[in-house]
Amino acid sequence: MTTFIIRRLFWTIPVILLVILLTFTMMRQIQGNPFRKSERAVPEAVQRNLERKFNLDKPWYLQYAYYVKGVATYDLGPSLVLRGRTVNDIVEEHFPVSIELGLYAFLFALITGVPLGMIAALRHNTALDYGAMFFSNVGHAVPSFLVATLLIYFFALQWGDVTGLPTSGWSSWEHKILPSIALGLGPMALFARLVRGTMLETLQQDYVRTARAKGLHYRRVVGLHVLRNSLIPVVTAAGPLLGFIITGSFIIELIFNVPGIGQYFVTAVNARDYSVVMGLTVLLSVIVIGANLVVDILYGILDPRTRDART
Amino acid sequence: MVANPTDIREEGIAVEPGAAPASGAPLRQSNLWRDAWRRYIRNRGAVVAGSIFVLVLLYCLIAPILSPHDPNAVDFAMASQNPTWEHPFGTDKFGRDLFTRTALGGRVSMAIGFGATLAILAIGVVYGAISGFVGGRLDNGLMRFLDALYGLPYLPFAIITLAIIGKTNLWTMMVALSIASWFTAARIVRGQVITLKENDYVRAAKAVGARWYRILGRHLLPNTLGVLIIAIFLELPAVILGEAFLSFIGLGISPPDASWGAMAQEGRTVYRTHPTAIIVPSIAIATLVLCANFVADGLRDALDPRTKES
Repeated sequence: MTTFIIRRLFWTIPVILLVILLTFTMMRQIQGNPFRKSERAVPEAVQRNLERKFNLDKPWYLQYAYYVKGVATYDLGPSLVLRGRTVNDIVEEHFPVSIELGLYAFLFALITGVPLGMIAALRHNTALDYGAMFFSNVGHAVPSFLVATLLIYFFALQWGDVTGLPTSGWSSWEHKILPSIALGLGPMALFARLVRGTMLETLQQDYVRTARAKGLHYRRVVGLHVLRNSLIPVVTAAGPLLGFIITGSFIIELIFNVPGIGQYFVTAVNARDYSVVMGLTVLLSVIVIGANLVVDILYGILDPRTRDART
Repeated sequence: MVANPTDIREEGIAVEPGAAPASGAPLRQSNLWRDAWRRYIRNRGAVVAGSIFVLVLLYCLIAPILSPHDPNAVDFAMASQNPTWEHPFGTDKFGRDLFTRTALGGRVSMAIGFGATLAILAIGVVYGAISGFVGGRLDNGLMRFLDALYGLPYLPFAIITLAIIGKTNLWTMMVALSIASWFTAARIVRGQVITLKENDYVRAAKAVGARWYRILGRHLLPNTLGVLIIAIFLELPAVILGEAFLSFIGLGISPPDASWGAMAQEGRTVYRTHPTAIIVPSIAIATLVLCANFVADGLRDALDPRTKES
């Protein structure tokens, strides 16, 4: 197990280097140089000094090496648009908000999606099952901006007097309810379908029948054997799900005016603040890679057969 | 997970070695596609979903031709109307008929959706076929590269791609949406090619001296067709949602042309007083995505008979 974890950890380093290289190469393709814009033209000599300061006069592989070093020492460079702000400042200010939102959304998905899937599996082929699955399918298909807009329209505008929920912002706990639900609905649908699928499979297993034949109470069988084995795919889905939540948060943060990293990413792209765009892309990628790492290790613990197959 | 239609396909091969049954040759024997069709028809949910999918396609193609309203005619007297007989979907904030505009937006969304899906599959087939067919070290390297990229959020990379190209139109949207989305397709094709490679008829073809391109083109790739058709309906919803996201955050194609996502973005500005303007294009997206998901499920059951029929 230890060798598996070590091997898996070492494999992560080249992966991160590769992803940074790809992002770096892509960002270099974008036309233009921040110091050669016509409206803030500076003398030739100053320009060269600036380029030297930011290593823009060096060959690309050196620039890449500097950037990797920056990422490793957590120094993502200055913002190109906002005076006196570094990418680190922006990350520190906006990132905790996004993590909080993602966490609430994940919790919402977990505590609603898993029971929904369980009910559907235990009442297989009944109206309850069909209803839960239809709800889950619709939840998966409806674009998150519609969900968000409808939530605001009904819970904050139409019935706002009763619920007292605000339309946008992030200052109090009331502000956090609607965005978390809007972001969590897609993952909820995914959890419900996953749990239902594996639970139906697990219910057919011999050890479940044995446990029942021994006279174990049905509830205990479901709680002890079925549920535990049905949650393994939920763990593996958590990695890709993180990407889903990040992607979704772009829209949700925009609509609810949540000061998170997704909203800032869009702002930075529109302002052509490329160092921020690049820093945030690398950060998001590293997070996803890290999540995949954790998921793989967890999976290796839960299911020992996968240890050799995966590096 | 990996659908494998070879088991049934072998019957077809056994009848006439080397012939591709997929070409619709008049074989009397039950062939894969006829069997699959029969299984698909029996699946009521998939048939309904497929029919609605076709209806939405037809609506997008035909409605703008038949509609009496100019999709771009601004009429503020008719702004933000709720649905009536005259305007079945209501009007937007400029008084433009949403029934016509939704159909036009659908054309754009679907053009981008199908275009990007085909691009994704093309890249996936080339990458996956090379990796699976050559095998060995190259396969190992290519798959490690995929592992590295797997699960990365595609939206930032799509946004950067649009920034690199510097302009937004139908083609650049397709490029942006396919550039970080082909990893799954490549994995599916590779898995399929590797499974097929071990089949007896491939060995037989090799034994009688068939060249590699013949084996690949005649035996391996045609047999991945089933998987690819399923993959179309799996990728299409993702791409259409991705396009909607990009348009919604203001990176889509520019007015007066509009995709469903761009229409939703326009509708968002007036959602407090006139929510119909965002609901209509969003429901169009949801309908298409939902139907495509069900069709994909139905196709998987139809093309892979080993999946349980519950």
